[in-house]
Amino acid sequence: MKILTCPMNGPRNIDEFQSFGPMREAPDPEVASDADWARYLFQAENQPGVVVEWWRHVPSNYFFLAERDIVTNRVLRTFDPGEAE
Amino acid sequence: MPLRLLKYGLSRRYPVRGDLPPTPDLRPAYDVVIVGGGGHGLACAYYLSRYHGIRSVAVLEKGWLAGGNTARNTTTIRSNYITPEGIAFYREGVQLFEEMSRELDFNVMFSQRGQLTLAHSEATLRSFHLRAEMGRHLGTRIEVVDTKGVEALAPLLHMDYGGALEIVGGLWHADGGTARHDAVAWGYASQAARRGVELHQRTEVLAFERVGERIGAVLTNRGRIGCGNVLIACGGMNYPVALKAGVELPIRNFPLQAMVTQPLKPFLHNLVSSVSLHTYLVQTDRGEVVIGGGSDPYQLYSTRSTLDMKEHLAAGAVHLFPFLKSVQLTRQWAGITDMTPDYSPIMGASPVENLWLDCGWGTWGFKATPVAGKRMAETIATGRVPAILKPFALARFGSFRLLNEMGATAASH
Amino acid sequence: MSRLPEPWGTRIDRTRPLRFRFEGREVMGFAGDSIASALAADGQWMLSRSFKYHRPRGILSMAGAEANTLVQLPGQPNMLAERVALCEGLEVRAQNVSGSLARDRGAVLDLLGRFLPVGFYYRSFMGPGKDAFLRVWEPMIRRRAGLGTIEPAATGGEFIAAHLHCDLLVVGGGLAGLSAAVTAAEAGADVILCDENTMPGGAATWQREGAAALPGLLARVEAAPGLRLMRKTTCNGWFEDNWLPLIRDGRLWRTRARQVIFATGAIGQPPVFRNNDLPGILLGSAAQRLMAHYAVRPGRRAVVLATEPEGYRVALDLAEAGVELAALADPRPGGSGGQMAAVLRRRGVEVIRATVEEARGRRHLKAVRVGGRWIDCDLLAVSAGEVPAWQLPCQAGARLGHDEATGRFRLSLPEGPLGLAGAVNGRGGAEAARADGARAALEALARLGGPAPAPEPAPETAPGAFALPVAAHPKGRDFVDLDEDLQVKDLIHTVQEGYGELELLKRFSTLGMGPSQGRHSAAAAARILAQATGRTVGEVGVTTARPPVGPEPLGLLAAGDAPVERRTALHGRHLALGARMQPAGAWWRPFQYGDVADEVAAVRQAAGMLDVSTLGKLELRGPEAGAFLDRLYTMAHANQPIGRVRYCLMLNEMGTVIDDGVAFRMAEDRYYVTATTGAVARVYADMLFWNAQWRMKVDVANLTSAFAAINVTGPRARAILQAAGSSFDLSTAAFPHLHGREGEVAGVPVRAMRIGFTGEVSVELHCPASRAVPLWEALTEAGKAEGLLPYGLEASRILRLEKGHIIIGQDTDALTTPDELGMGWAISRRKPFFVGKRALEMRQRLGLSRRLVGLRFPEGGKLPGESCLILRKGTPVGHVTSIAQSPTLGRAVALGYVHPEDAVEGTQVTAKCRNGTLVAAQVMNHVSFDPDGRRQEM
Repeated sequence: MKILTCPMNGPRNIDEFQSFGPMREAPDPEVASDADWARYLFQAENQPGVVVEWWRHVPSNYFFLAERDIVTNRVLRTFDPGEAE
Repeated sequence: MPLRLLKYGLSRRYPVRGDLPPTPDLRPAYDVVIVGGGGHGLACAYYLSRYHGIRSVAVLEKGWLAGGNTARNTTTIRSNYITPEGIAFYREGVQLFEEMSRELDFNVMFSQRGQLTLAHSEATLRSFHLRAEMGRHLGTRIEVVDTKGVEALAPLLHMDYGGALEIVGGLWHADGGTARHDAVAWGYASQAARRGVELHQRTEVLAFERVGERIGAVLTNRGRIGCGNVLIACGGMNYPVALKAGVELPIRNFPLQAMVTQPLKPFLHNLVSSVSLHTYLVQTDRGEVVIGGGSDPYQLYSTRSTLDMKEHLAAGAVHLFPFLKSVQLTRQWAGITDMTPDYSPIMGASPVENLWLDCGWGTWGFKATPVAGKRMAETIATGRVPAILKPFALARFGSFRLLNEMGATAASH
Repeated sequence: MSRLPEPWGTRIDRTRPLRFRFEGREVMGFAGDSIASALAADGQWMLSRSFKYHRPRGILSMAGAEANTLVQLPGQPNMLAERVALCEGLEVRAQNVSGSLARDRGAVLDLLGRFLPVGFYYRSFMGPGKDAFLRVWEPMIRRRAGLGTIEPAATGGEFIAAHLHCDLLVVGGGLAGLSAAVTAAEAGADVILCDENTMPGGAATWQREGAAALPGLLARVEAAPGLRLMRKTTCNGWFEDNWLPLIRDGRLWRTRARQVIFATGAIGQPPVFRNNDLPGILLGSAAQRLMAHYAVRPGRRAVVLATEPEGYRVALDLAEAGVELAALADPRPGGSGGQMAAVLRRRGVEVIRATVEEARGRRHLKAVRVGGRWIDCDLLAVSAGEVPAWQLPCQAGARLGHDEATGRFRLSLPEGPLGLAGAVNGRGGAEAARADGARAALEALARLGGPAPAPEPAPETAPGAFALPVAAHPKGRDFVDLDEDLQVKDLIHTVQEGYGELELLKRFSTLGMGPSQGRHSAAAAARILAQATGRTVGEVGVTTARPPVGPEPLGLLAAGDAPVERRTALHGRHLALGARMQPAGAWWRPFQYGDVADEVAAVRQAAGMLDVSTLGKLELRGPEAGAFLDRLYTMAHANQPIGRVRYCLMLNEMGTVIDDGVAFRMAEDRYYVTATTGAVARVYADMLFWNAQWRMKVDVANLTSAFAAINVTGPRARAILQAAGSSFDLSTAAFPHLHGREGEVAGVPVRAMRIGFTGEVSVELHCPASRAVPLWEALTEAGKAEGLLPYGLEASRILRLEKGHIIIGQDTDALTTPDELGMGWAISRRKPFFVGKRALEMRQRLGLSRRLVGLRFPEGGKLPGESCLILRKGTPVGHVTSIAQSPTLGRAVALGYVHPEDAVEGTQVTAKCRNGTLVAAQVMNHVSFDPDGRRQEM
């Protein structure tokens, strides 16, 4: 089983985690066009290579971000969302 | 013994038919370039060459023919979907399978042994009723059966009466079946090649040359080729290939795993699947039991296998058939699926004028091989999307005209 | 047949004879025997009939992988006779035979082989008629399919799964593996060494070479502190991050290793010639294993085929065991066995400079043709080359290359916590393997952070290797893949048909798809294909190695599975009351206690109580709790007064309804929110997920299991609570509909809410799960005088349908918007944002495609069932989502989707019953009973 390193709980089996998919930047709903909003709803990062995505460590309910190569499945980095800015 | 085999037994030399010609040199241009030498691309090439007189067709395959999801799927053919648009489309697919072996002079071993989907709850049964009502209204063979009916169709099934996974009924789809997946692709390839279609293996698309609103040429690892029309039908690679043409698809890739046991004397006639257990089983004509289930839980472009999924599939299989505990597993494998938000494919036009899409087949594309090939060929040949494909347009997402088939694809594919 | 004298037979205990039966005939063996060795000792070499032609087959490798040795045990099909330990009274049968193993009627197929060319089934069995395959041909094919037979009643035995961790896992206990394991363990590492045999030592247990080194290594294994030796344990796969299943009998250890060394040896490759599949043709190592481990003399008169020095050692061993050596065939130009050849010559053994061209025999080998000459023999031992055991390393990312100069395959590993040692690394032979094991261990130690710089690997021990002899025969029966009965011509024809890529060849011909997964066909197939396609063996390669390495029972893989079942704190009460329980998601819930109509009537006329403990219960705390709810749900919650309960409706970002519940504002900064049973896990996760992005000042706690809940409902509900005793004023004025209180009922602390699904006066009491039973008892007692009845899910569904309340997931689907449900009232227009708002506005502009309405059917007529279609001019526009007979109203009540233009009350629509009958229905309000909602507010 793959190991994912939780920024809070350290390396754990990946079956302790739940994937919440690639990070998506929501446009401002007040000004975004319908087309832009539809794109936000239906498009997700899927380009072969490194994707920044959300994960939940289920036992501790901690959400964090991971940089993962979705071709090799190698995780380059995991970090707290507070560090994302 | 069939007479056809006498030819082999009685001729001094093996009568070579030459199903797949070797990869020729690339020509400077083709009327149609098909990206992806899987079942769908090959079927489209066949229908173009046979029914539309378009023979200047190149099928580009970066690996070996039909080596992607065509080679890796678990061959379920069915039309027991939820939406009327989906049912109408897949029904035509099933009908084309019924004639396929003779049409292609290649036995694809289409076998309508019927598919039984199990309900372990009233809620599932209610959704089965909806599928049955819709399917029957549209002329497919489908009905909800009670526990007696389930027992009659699959006598060795563990019904779990009184248990948490008690089987409360099933959805019986007599039109459902399987075919020899590789043979479908080879049959199309062979007949297309016979009509002048060129099959280019180990030929990878590197980029598209845009000329205004059109694709002017396709750049490959073996050279540049001009094109009239381009079809993208490359399964797990649809997203990156379409992006090369500037088209962003609402697709995410997930691995789908399956596994197979050693050959056993046949004991399971129908296809059996359980939505709650995320498991389905089918026994092949070799006697092997093929076991599959849901997709992997996170996005990935990899055909690696996992122990976790194997354990999960095994648990479902032995729950349904406890005597399988002592049956030996031989092999597990995976494919890369391109999932859409509504679990329905994307077919038809793209924002680029001469670029056509046959994408988003996720975990359910094999059964659509003939109908997608036929209808996409019609689309390309006439430049118009036929009514049966219109609901599957890429544009449906922006207008929320989704075709939600999640419930019909969760475990049965 | 007598066994060889000691010291032959290291694995058998001659003092413990065992009796078993093969094909109904009693056979004797010894403890320590495998089924195959005991049968061989008895002279029974034929173990099976082949898959396609039903040819006699027997032992090839004694390593236990081939279809050749698959036998049927009671309830256990396809068991490897070379692996299964003998036990008293075992019933062993041959598989895939019509009649008996000795007289298999299926053998006629061997004569018809010409008519069954490779892929013949693609060329025929097609007509006449479109279902001829299903009706005629497939049943015929299926009658011939498969090997072993399942036994429906078999329970499959006990399987256990557990976990192991180590610094280093060494796979394979030959000299290389032993050496690697002791080297690492003696340096302080925590090491697991797994070996599939009963005794470690690998080839050193059946060959003379290295045997001397073995006792010393085994003593070090014993003495090493951190070394766990796992015998009879197979490492059956490699998975990401060094996650490896180790299996032994009914046990699966999922093992996490920081480092792995594969010391998996090499796999002997049988040469190809006519009739090379006859029983009596063995790998040299198999002959040695039979003699050394089981004291079985593998034949009386032998020919040895040697293209490597190993073959000469086999010949010497055979001679020592008293087997008459008819000849040794060594086709290598200038190749020699050195001194061993001289020893053989002195013994009068002829060394012929040719390969074996053909064999003959019916059920067993009778003679081989070498250099044009037929030599009588009942044993041919072949040592003709090997391939590194590539399966595990390749699963771990290694590539199997081929050195055209030496004719050898070699593995190269990617960077990572992995190593190779011994023959799998091209370092066969006792001394080289030992040294390579130590080197691999030092490298692993260095990767673990140890200081030791590892020495450079020694050069490979490749002797002047010789390409595997492949002698195609014009008449065929020159088998490349014994499992699948594939001959040389089959591969050639496959290439001629255009399937020249190895993976295409595999799929068309089924090469390598049998139980041994191409173990013994890889080298020959690569050579044949290379020649046929004008490529090098390296370019052809081997097919992708997929797990598992060897067969593994499904029961073992399912061993860790335990389905989740949840029971509420009141489960015992329900059982005591005789409730019929029904699973609802993971939960068990009471479906009904007695007559459903009585339960409904009790609620409408007196009172009922329902265990609603399965509801999701979430507590939100923090200064921004209200603002957070405003962003999550469609209604306004930040302005909700303390002590008030408000309906809450959740959309996803698509604007689709995904959940509903209520929010009880308990304090300025505290809300208690319910979610539906099935959705709470997702709602809770979504709340956390959104807040990971919004980072608002709010905490969410999931109290679903901590709290039980009982809904008391009906005109007498208030009286019952009063009788049970409550710490707060229950009067309508003090505690009106949609209000909440904290306090005590019957001395039990509760959160009480004036809400319900029934349309009657309802109080929902949420209490700590540990106090649920006393509360239930007190209510039961207090309700006796009032006609209180517990009611189940079925009555609850009817009650809610009478009131037109929707059930998310039943009356909604993955696309349902609030507008389709007529729930525009639940959407706050003033809030600048809530999840799904933007999409909802877009969808509103696109217009409605359906509406959920109440449906009334003519009394006494036929009724549609749930999920029946609503048609408009023959086209489905919706369906009946819920329908039930209302005991209260004496007629059916229903909800269903209709075309938006038909959503006006009084419109006639058409429903299609399950039998196809069309019935008319009248569109009406959702609410059939007490449409003004007065009763619940009393």
